[in-house]
Amino acid sequence: MRETSNIESPVNAASLGVRRSAFGVWRFLWRTLDFIVAGIFVYAGALKVLDPVQFAHDIKNFQILPWPISVALAFYQPWLEIFCGVGLVFRFFYRGALCILSALIVVFTLAIIAAKVRGLDITCGCFGHASQHWSFPAHLATNVAILALLALLFKAGEQRRRTD
Amino acid sequence: MKLSLTRQALVLAALSLFPAMGEAIYFRGKISWRSPIPPSEMVSVDQARALGGNVIWVDARPDEEFARDHVPGALSLNEDRWNELLPQFLAAWSPGKKVVVYCSAESCDLAREAAERLRKEAQVPDVFVLEGGWEAWLKKNR
Repeated sequence: MRETSNIESPVNAASLGVRRSAFGVWRFLWRTLDFIVAGIFVYAGALKVLDPVQFAHDIKNFQILPWPISVALAFYQPWLEIFCGVGLVFRFFYRGALCILSALIVVFTLAIIAAKVRGLDITCGCFGHASQHWSFPAHLATNVAILALLALLFKAGEQRRRTD
Repeated sequence: MKLSLTRQALVLAALSLFPAMGEAIYFRGKISWRSPIPPSEMVSVDQARALGGNVIWVDARPDEEFARDHVPGALSLNEDRWNELLPQFLAAWSPGKKVVVYCSAESCDLAREAAERLRKEAQVPDVFVLEGGWEAWLKKNR
């Protein structure tokens, strides 16, 4: 009896193998998603690091923050995006990075909505010159999509923590 | 490294400060913390007056404010009627002349925007923004 129910039986071993390979595929997919999200933020951060003067003006145009704070943010925020992106790639402070990036995206989205409500015709500066001619719906859709990806990664990360 | 979520976020936030400070030092000559306009593109009322006849004053405020009062001899060039007013400015301008653009006060952005458009779109060199704008002019002249 004991021998037939043994987990090492050929049938059980095969199903374990299938489960392991499915788990491997999922892991690969999550890692790919990590790289995609990280790439978006590292790219966006790098564009802004190269032209902090323009980014400071982009922040100022939202008419929410005074000029000195816009300048400070123009220097600081791109590096925060880059560090968090690198954190996702190397799984270095992974959950902290996801948390910061989600908070940033929420703040950007609120700022874009506030600008639209006040009738400001401005560029968000999110991706430097690349996002200069984006429409309001395009900005919003991009931010919501990125936020959804971050939420997925957070959920997958929590599951992985529990299984590990 | 097993740290709580808040600690992880704080470490990342702190790490980002170092390159940001380095970049701020590197760009210190290209951006002013006090004003959106770099010091090299700004002139005070006294400096502008010292230019004498070699200067064209450009008023970037809306039409009604220009009609109320303006710097003697200033040309109106605002964003509402840019295409209409630009030929008038170009007719008055000649190479070698300095251009001083102003709007209502230190906090307004119209002069900076007009100055940038003159440099980029009209290819006019030596365009400066008046420090303190029309308010500063009034203080010095009344």
